[in-house]
Amino acid sequence: MVTHYAESGSSALHRMNAWTKMALLGIVVVFVIVLMDIYLIALLFVATVAFYSLGRLPLKLLVGWYSMPVLFVVTISILFMFTEPGQELASIELLGQRVVVTDNGVLLLVKLLLRALAVVTFSLAVFMTTKYSHITQIASRVLPQSLANVFLLSYRFTFETTDEMSDVIDAIHARNGNLVRGASRQTKLFAGIFALAFVHAFERAERIAKAMEARGFNGTFPMAEKLPRPGVGGYAVISLTALALAAVTYSRYVEDLFGWW
Amino acid sequence: MAHIHLEDGAFTIFWVAVWTLAAIALLALPLIKLGGKNIPTRKLAIASMCVAVGFAIFQVEIPVFGGIHINLTPFIGILVGPSLGSLTVLVINVFSAAVGHGGWGMIGANTIVNLVEVFLGYYIYRAMRTRVKTGRFAAGFGAAFFALAVSAFIVVGIVTASEIQDSTQTRDETFRNMLILAAANLVAAVMEGVVTGYIVSYIGKVRPDLLDDVEGRGKDKATVRAGEGTPHV
Repeated sequence: MVTHYAESGSSALHRMNAWTKMALLGIVVVFVIVLMDIYLIALLFVATVAFYSLGRLPLKLLVGWYSMPVLFVVTISILFMFTEPGQELASIELLGQRVVVTDNGVLLLVKLLLRALAVVTFSLAVFMTTKYSHITQIASRVLPQSLANVFLLSYRFTFETTDEMSDVIDAIHARNGNLVRGASRQTKLFAGIFALAFVHAFERAERIAKAMEARGFNGTFPMAEKLPRPGVGGYAVISLTALALAAVTYSRYVEDLFGWW
Repeated sequence: MAHIHLEDGAFTIFWVAVWTLAAIALLALPLIKLGGKNIPTRKLAIASMCVAVGFAIFQVEIPVFGGIHINLTPFIGILVGPSLGSLTVLVINVFSAAVGHGGWGMIGANTIVNLVEVFLGYYIYRAMRTRVKTGRFAAGFGAAFFALAVSAFIVVGIVTASEIQDSTQTRDETFRNMLILAAANLVAAVMEGVVTGYIVSYIGKVRPDLLDDVEGRGKDKATVRAGEGTPHV
C-alpha cells in the first residue's frame, strides 16, 4: 500500500521535493518534543492531517495505521493516568484500593496521543508520497554506507515480505486455522510460520548475494535517477517552519514569547 | 507485546539526544567488527532479509490471550549473531518509526533496548547449547526469556531516568509505575520465549546449518555460511 501510493500518485505532495518532505518530517518530530501547550499540539496534529490529505491519501487507511501507536501510548500512559496528581474526575474501588483518574492524568494521555499521532500521520504522508528511488538517494546520502546498504536492500523487500506473510496468514484463515483452539497449538502454528519466513529469508539472501556478486556489486548501489535539491518554494517552507520551531524552542527553554496565548 | 516502543514526545529533547548518542556509540562496535564500509555481500543480504522478515513479524498478532505482538529480537541475535543483529534491529526500528511502531526520536532508546535483547539472546543461547548442553527448545526459551526480562528492566531504567514529559511525578513514582509494566512484559517474555523455542526447534530440524555458528559446530563451515568470504572492494 505504501509503495503503491508513493509510485502511482500525482498530488501536490507527490510533486513536492523529497528533501523538503524529509526536512519537514524532522522539524515535526522536534516540534512534537518541544511543544507543551495542548492547544498547540492539537493544532500541529490537525496540520499533519491536512498535510496527509494534501496527498489525496485515504483517511480510512490512516485510522487503521493509528492502532499501533495508540496501543503503545496507552500502554505507557495508562499507568500514569491513575497516579498523576490533580483534580479527581472519577474513581472506583478495585481489590480494596481506590483508583482515581485525575484531570492531569487524562491530559497527559491526550497530549502523548496527539504527539504520537501527529508524527505518524506526517511520516505516512511522506512515505506514501515519496518514490522508492528518491528515498534510496536520501538514505544513501544521510546514513553511513554500510547501514544505507542494509536499509536500501531491505526496503526493497520489506513490503513484499510483509505481503507474503499476510498471504500465509490469510491462507490459514481460509482453511479455518483461526478456529484452532489452545494457546499451545496457536503458538506452535505461528512459530512455524515465522520460522519458515526466516528460512526463506536466508535462502533469498543467498540467491541475492550471488546475483549481486555476479553483477559486480562493489559496495554501493547505483542510483538510476537523480534527486534534485529543493526549489525556492521548498527552501521557503523549510525556513518558515524552522523559524516557527526556533520561536517555540526559545519560548520553552529561554523566555516565554507566547504568554498572551 | 514483548517490549515497549516509546513514541515521539514522551521524552525531552535532552534525553532524546542522550539515548541517540548512546545508541550510536553502541552501534559503532558491531559496525567496526563487520568491516566498516566493506561488509561482505552475503552478510549484507542476510541482514537485509532479516530486517524484512523482522519488520513483517512486528505487524502480525498471534491470537493467544487476547492477542500478543512479538519482536523476535533475541531470535534474530541467535540466527545472525550480535554484530549483524545490531544492524538489523536498528534498520527495523527505522522502518517501524515510519509506520508509528515507535517514534523517530526514540530510535536511539528503542535500539539500546533491542541491542541488549540481540546480545543476550545470542550469548545465552550459545552458553545453554554449548556449556549447559540443553535442548534447542529450552535454550531458545531461556535465551529469549532472559534477554527480554533484562530488556524490560532496561526500559524501566530508561523511562525512569528520562521521565515522561508533562508528568509531574517524581522519579520514584515513575519507577514504581514502570515496574508494573515490567511485570506485564515478563509475562509477554514467557510467550515470546515459547515462540522462540518452537522456532529454533523447527529450524534445527529443517536447516540445522543456520544454527551452526551459535551452537559452536564446525567453525570453518559456519564461517563460510555466515558469509565471511567475498568482501567487496
